[in-house]
Amino acid sequence: MTPPSGDTDAATIRLHRALYVEEAITEAAATFAGLASFAVRADGEHYIIDVTDIARDVDGDVVAEFCNFALANTARLQRSGHA
Amino acid sequence: MAMRRSQIETLDPATSSLTLSLDIGLYPRDVLYAAAYVFLDRAYVLLDRQDPRFVVHLRAKRPLDEATLQAMAGEFENELLAQALRHQVVDANQRIIEDVVAVAIAGAAGDVEGSSGAGLEGAPLIDPADPEDGFVADPHGIARPWEPEKQGSE
Repeated sequence: MTPPSGDTDAATIRLHRALYVEEAITEAAATFAGLASFAVRADGEHYIIDVTDIARDVDGDVVAEFCNFALANTARLQRSGHA
Repeated sequence: MAMRRSQIETLDPATSSLTLSLDIGLYPRDVLYAAAYVFLDRAYVLLDRQDPRFVVHLRAKRPLDEATLQAMAGEFENELLAQALRHQVVDANQRIIEDVVAVAIAGAAGDVEGSSGAGLEGAPLIDPADPEDGFVADPHGIARPWEPEKQGSE
């Protein structure tokens, strides 16, 4: 699996719960709220994020950038001891 | 072949992507985050875990050929080592760092009481009542610019 691409109108992302913090994911979803709709749920060892209504008129890959934001937020929260 | 500590699992120039797997016991999670963070500006990074290994998916933001992708994998491994060393140094010096910061903050506030800096207890670093103490007074002209064109503005 490579970082998911937002080349379609919808995508599903799986982020491992041992490596990503839910708060970080919801923060990233809030950041990208104007570019897509995000639904986050836990399923076993992963968070499943259903991404829909992905904006087509933006440069870059919305879904992959969302994953980068979720990772950056997780790293920041872990470092500050929030998670 | 025996499983190595870290290794390239996949490498695909067509999608400018690669997958690395890392021994969980070798790299703490904080080190993995720190190394991944460095690559966020040039690659899309996705972390996963398949016990007993971390899996790192990297997709470059610009098209890359096979040699450059392999170099990127090597750079990621180097970054892991650098961050692991940094992590160790911070851990080893945590107490010293905290003491130095505590004394610096207390000194700037004109009071080192309560700091744990041995040997400095009760010794104010800056006397706020003394205008010659601290950084405001400049009796030797150290703060004056030496460039002639800037001296006029002083």
